[in-house]
Amino acid sequence: MVSNKEGILQPLNPADTFTLAMDEEIRQENMPGSLCGFALELSNTPNIEALETQINTFIKFFPVTQSSLQQRGKLFYWCQQENTRQLFFQHSCSSEKNETRFFQQTIEKILNTKESREQQSPVEFHLLTGSNKSIFLLRWIHPFCDARGAELILKFLMTDNPKQLEKFAAPFGKPLVNQQLDKYKWWQKIGLFLKAKRHIESIDQYQSIVPLDQQQLQQQPEKLSYAIFRISKQKTEKINKIARKQVGLTGASLYFLGCMMRALEKINSDFPGEAYCVPYAFNLRKSKVLTPVLGNHVCALFSQATREQVQNRSILFQHLKQQNAKVIREKMDYAFLPLMWAGSWLSLEKYGKTLRQSYKTGTERTSFWFSDIGPMNFESQHFFGAEIKGLFHLCQISTPPALGLLSCQFQGQLSLTYNFIEPLFNHQWIEQLHSFYLEELLTE
Amino acid sequence: MQDFSAIPKLREFIFQELIFVESPGQFGDQDDLLEAGLDSMGIMRLIMFIEDEFGVTLPDTEIEPENIGSFNALESWIKKHKN
Repeated sequence: MVSNKEGILQPLNPADTFTLAMDEEIRQENMPGSLCGFALELSNTPNIEALETQINTFIKFFPVTQSSLQQRGKLFYWCQQENTRQLFFQHSCSSEKNETRFFQQTIEKILNTKESREQQSPVEFHLLTGSNKSIFLLRWIHPFCDARGAELILKFLMTDNPKQLEKFAAPFGKPLVNQQLDKYKWWQKIGLFLKAKRHIESIDQYQSIVPLDQQQLQQQPEKLSYAIFRISKQKTEKINKIARKQVGLTGASLYFLGCMMRALEKINSDFPGEAYCVPYAFNLRKSKVLTPVLGNHVCALFSQATREQVQNRSILFQHLKQQNAKVIREKMDYAFLPLMWAGSWLSLEKYGKTLRQSYKTGTERTSFWFSDIGPMNFESQHFFGAEIKGLFHLCQISTPPALGLLSCQFQGQLSLTYNFIEPLFNHQWIEQLHSFYLEELLTE
Repeated sequence: MQDFSAIPKLREFIFQELIFVESPGQFGDQDDLLEAGLDSMGIMRLIMFIEDEFGVTLPDTEIEPENIGSFNALESWIKKHKN
């Protein structure tokens, strides 16, 4: 630990310490930390020269891209690196026969690369080229941004008007959590803190169901793998219609979350535990939330439903909707501001345990990781001359639960990416889970 | 309920756990606890202590200097929610 302030570019937003704590948890499992990916599937190879020029413009705009996370005293800061690092990488497939394997293996290799926190670039750009398609992969670490932030980076890259670029310039200075907290009097902050604490204690009454048996839990995590399922436009439309009917327009994410609870229950109703518990990783207030006040839209709030509730579709969705409405009505997300601020002063180890372990039982709280970023829209359907055919997301996960579902919609198609840790889960099991999940999504 | 007094237990907890004063006996029930050094972390611990010890739930919205500034204020606040 170094105590000086030399080389500090900006402090880490206290809300992002939440994801940094999870990064540490993953590292403790001998995995690479909280690496994430946002991939654009392209019809052909984009204009590489133009792409590289724009990436360099982006790096100049945001010097923090050339920084690394370092601890100074108790807190973490984005600190300047002595040497400029390479952030753009190209990977070409040498054999047409194994192209599908090439893409999967290269992406897995990137997402499973271990580096020390001090050495790791907050963001990297990878272009994978084959004869039939290309993939542009944005790889970032979770404390740096979330999937929405990654979307903004892609939008920056796709903007060719320099004046428009100016609007992306982020304000440097006091982290947003601290700015928000400054609006409250000290006794109000105490009130918020207690409100958040009481909320968690009241909801944290059950042992979470983790979809792993004793034999799986004894296995050491080895690598992150993924499986993508793209749902047809017709089925996506049907799913959206059912979601609106079940949970309303603003709670669509809850439908995807609830259906996964039911799919897991269907695949094995003997998983030990009393309730499914899933931390929120979606925008609670749609476009009204002040990002990244609540850090990457991921916060200590969660959805929870007992096994009995999960077994009945209408009861489940009514329950999830009511739970979510209460959180928004009582401004629970804002109540978590002082908790997040206080958490940023804890050691990562202590914060990680506080976040992961149920207060009551001391066991893992999260049944699976879930993130829904909803419909994705780009101004252009082309990325440096190549047509965007699809997209998907990736993220490293802690074990347990070793399973994450990331969803988004692009060009009217639902894209579901299952992220899972091998050998605890395998592709065969994921395919079975997906068939149950799709069945649930389509049930009227 | 009329005979109920929270002050002895509050005095014991606050002076043993939260703030240091040279002569606790001379610190009056009306004296300013905040000026004496009761800080935000201390208040959080105090509220949790009160809720456990006296079996009351103190509303988050009522956490303000008027209710926590002195032993008398704290006792009145507890009594308000004790019934």
